[in-house]
Amino acid sequence: MMTLTINGRKVELEAPVTILEAAKRNGIDIPTLCHHPALELWGGCRMCLVEVEKMPRLQTACTVRVADGMAVRTETPRVVAARKAILEFLLINHPLECPTCDKAGICALQDLTVRYGAVAGRFEEGKRVFPEVVDDPVIVRNMKRCIMCTRCVRMCDGVQGASAIGVIEKGARSHIEPFSGGRYNCEYCGNCLAVCPVGAIMSKLHRYTYRPWQMEKTVKTICSFCGVGCTLRLEVRDESIKRVSAEFGDGVNNGLLCGRGRFGYEYVDSPERLKTPMIRRDGRLERATWDEALDYAAGRLLEIKKENGGGAIGGIAGGRATNEEIYLFQKLLRAGFGSNNIDSIARLGLLPAQKILEDIFGQGAVANLISGIPRSEAVLVVASDPTRTNPVMGLEVRAAARAGRKVIAIGHIDGLRRHRTRRLEAKTGPGQETMIMAGLLSELLKIKPLSGENPEFEEAIKAWGKTLPGPDEVEKATGVSALLISGTAADLKDVSTSSIIAGRELASSMDIRTNMMMLAALGYILNSRIFLISEHPNEQGLIEMGCSPEMLPGERPVDVRTFREKCEQAWGAGINPEAGLTLMEMIEQAGASIKALYVMGEDPAFGLPSRGRVKEALGRLDFLIVQDIFMTGTAAMADVVFPALAWSEKDGTYTNLEKRIQRLKKAVIKEGIEDWRILAEIGKRAGLPSRYRGVADIFREIAQVSPIHAGLGFESIEEGGVLWPYKGKPLSVSSSPSSAAGRFPGSGKAVSISPPPDRNVLKLVLDKPLLHSGTLSTHSDALMDLTGGPEARLCPETGGKLGIADGDAVKVSTGEGQISLRARLESGLPEDALFISNDFREAGAFELFGYQLEPESKTPVLTVQNLKVERL
Amino acid sequence: MNTKKIVKTIFMTEILQGMALTLKSLFSPAVTRQYPKEKRQPFPGFRGQHAFVRDAKTGKEKCIACGLCGAVCPSKCIYIYTKEDEETRKKTIDRYEIELLRCVYCAFCVEACPVGAIALTENYEYSDYSREALYMTKEKLLDNWDRFMAGPKGDEYFEKFWTPKQQSFRAHDDQAVFRPKGSNGAARPEADTRPEGVK
Repeated sequence: MMTLTINGRKVELEAPVTILEAAKRNGIDIPTLCHHPALELWGGCRMCLVEVEKMPRLQTACTVRVADGMAVRTETPRVVAARKAILEFLLINHPLECPTCDKAGICALQDLTVRYGAVAGRFEEGKRVFPEVVDDPVIVRNMKRCIMCTRCVRMCDGVQGASAIGVIEKGARSHIEPFSGGRYNCEYCGNCLAVCPVGAIMSKLHRYTYRPWQMEKTVKTICSFCGVGCTLRLEVRDESIKRVSAEFGDGVNNGLLCGRGRFGYEYVDSPERLKTPMIRRDGRLERATWDEALDYAAGRLLEIKKENGGGAIGGIAGGRATNEEIYLFQKLLRAGFGSNNIDSIARLGLLPAQKILEDIFGQGAVANLISGIPRSEAVLVVASDPTRTNPVMGLEVRAAARAGRKVIAIGHIDGLRRHRTRRLEAKTGPGQETMIMAGLLSELLKIKPLSGENPEFEEAIKAWGKTLPGPDEVEKATGVSALLISGTAADLKDVSTSSIIAGRELASSMDIRTNMMMLAALGYILNSRIFLISEHPNEQGLIEMGCSPEMLPGERPVDVRTFREKCEQAWGAGINPEAGLTLMEMIEQAGASIKALYVMGEDPAFGLPSRGRVKEALGRLDFLIVQDIFMTGTAAMADVVFPALAWSEKDGTYTNLEKRIQRLKKAVIKEGIEDWRILAEIGKRAGLPSRYRGVADIFREIAQVSPIHAGLGFESIEEGGVLWPYKGKPLSVSSSPSSAAGRFPGSGKAVSISPPPDRNVLKLVLDKPLLHSGTLSTHSDALMDLTGGPEARLCPETGGKLGIADGDAVKVSTGEGQISLRARLESGLPEDALFISNDFREAGAFELFGYQLEPESKTPVLTVQNLKVERL
Repeated sequence: MNTKKIVKTIFMTEILQGMALTLKSLFSPAVTRQYPKEKRQPFPGFRGQHAFVRDAKTGKEKCIACGLCGAVCPSKCIYIYTKEDEETRKKTIDRYEIELLRCVYCAFCVEACPVGAIALTENYEYSDYSREALYMTKEKLLDNWDRFMAGPKGDEYFEKFWTPKQQSFRAHDDQAVFRPKGSNGAARPEADTRPEGVK
């Protein structure tokens, strides 16, 4: 306990903090420019100078820690004179172009000048001038405005970990420049422009089209790009989003954003957006009124149900729909049309992976807080790249690395290349992750003492671990040295808390069960929080809201009568007790047992592997309804198209990968009908009465039906989010120690691991670009300017072997199909891998991938046959 | 009732006084202006219909699109939409509209303008049957300048009444200024660091 006085006021503190922090807690404002809560202390701008009794010189409040008995005065004439002088020095070079600077109004320097009084310059010399740099597609640098607070550099180095910019030159000529020159060569997170206190680094999007005070509303909502669920503030003028920002101290992301979130919002204003419903007449899609389209859609679905039974209707939901929409969607299909054929893209990895883990540890096994990652002693990243798919979660991994935690990457993980502690990543070839993990696990089981918390489970994994290949066997199979693996295991020996991050790559494998069991075992041994990477903002919601053929809302199995009865009671309609068809089965059965498909916010004709076969299957359908915001490939084949509203135009909730329910808020008023209203209208026509006045009513119904959401009110989610376990009851089948072991399937049985692929053969790997996720982001001009178009990434050595140079047009073909795209040579990539993403309409990787269903979980496992790369 | 009042009432003195005034006015010159045949010349600095100052050098508007006029407007009748000029990369006006029906002619916009780009002309004759005619656009406003304020009249207007803020910026009285003799203490800004139009 220490006592000090600030401006004569007595302040008591538990622990020593900086003077600035102590003052802030007591409501005393000390002006700052270079200080930022998210960045390391610097003390460079001298704006926070204060007078401390018995110290001869003024002290910087942001770096000096308080001591017992200290007497601080923050606004004495001496202090004010010093601040005035500093401002005057800054204004020697700062141009007086506030009238045309977009920062004016929210500029720290401007505010301080107003506070301490403006003075005319007393210098005869001219101002330092730098030309404005507009070479970059999204970031404008105006270095004559820079006040050298170096917040951007500290952000780029110390938080983002990209180290792309630095202070160039010295003295009066010093300025900030990316090391790559005019155009940035970085991750385009835009966090540098978020921390710039003046207008030196600004976004180019909607540049000069607004002034901060002209914004009509600022709405706090959730980002629409990945499963992290960052909190965004949308600033709207004239029903158009002008700026996206995040506030420090707010939400999961704590003020940080990635390039997609910050610069990707333009798609909502795209002129290609669908505006009116359409009906196919004489083979052509024609405009129709809402009533016509709704009547037609419901009528045809009812006809098909009458002729072929409810099982002939299927539904596919997308990961961008809100919880309320997903709930209504599955309710419509289950209760309205008597079909359990409901699935989503969560089937491609997250759903089966999560289900296996929850089978072992109980519901909520993967509901861990992202903020805990940098606090764990070790972070294990397996196969998927969090810094690309879930960038803000990736930042936490980097923070862990910076804090000296052990970061171990298995598989090729681009974004952690400079942030890991062991070189396992560089040695692991594509497809070898399972083997390496097995080696690591078997070694860990040998050397690491177990906690004894759950002896039965420990017995089970020990018995199971004995059948796993040891490091020597792994070396034989993969070529990764046994020494490296045992060394890594030794690193992890003393770890008492850790985090494991895994993604779709581990689940989309014939070894999915083995992979997940190894994850579970590693998780137990290392006392880990397990995170499953989620590529869509509401992928978790798809699972929780019952958008899967075997589970009702609340992840309750559909074949259990009590759960079914609860829903039947609430919905007033019977539910088919048998689980329905999964995603790929529905596609395969199209035209046979499936006659009609309702697709909401998803593009199966593009987003599923073996595109040729999927398209053909969709063509065989009798009736196809698509509800989307753009004319996707699937929508072009549909019989009825409903225009949906985009993420910024509706209310609702999203559940992120930590199982945190967060509120999505309507920011922009757009002509159109919310997705839930479309579903409710069709439901009405199918005999499902509904009296929803808004999403709050739907949420209330969810809380009634779903046991895990019981007791939750829409209001409780309004401010901040609700964390797992919400208020309701998780399914407690396997939470007792003995059942965890019992549910560790395959204990005692030999582990089957498919042999790792030959490292001498070129393999096609599905790329996950940092700035794109699905075709939606390709409607954002800024993101397109940054990436250009589809690319096939490979390492220069492989390029040399194939006779391909950087920028060459190449044709890639497999047994499934072929695409042409630009090649990009990038050093550091595995020699036997060719990375192609599935984000660009003109050349998506799923044209090349085939698939095979994993028999148990029905996960489509990507396969490639006869890969050929030719220079065009 | 006193005697004075009785005398007043009997001899109708008040009426006679009134009649005397009438008689006097009958022979003095008339003050009624026969508007619209006869028009009154407004005093300098009159606050009439708005105009956009046309820069004699460039032939274009002086406006730098800062939006301060719209921010200060008490009746919120100025709508300003801006954009980035594709060639010069400078901030320019996309649309600039004033809703005359709501304007209270306070001239705060003129006062707020840092570059003296907007003025209130001496024109007061613009009533109309349609609302559209009273919705001013950039072109109409520039046209107003040519019609009512072009030439020395416009210069005089800003010299005498509405000196732009930029030009009236002075140092504190007690501030030491290191500058050649003869300088009046006003800031001498660098032309190349200012947005176009700012002097």
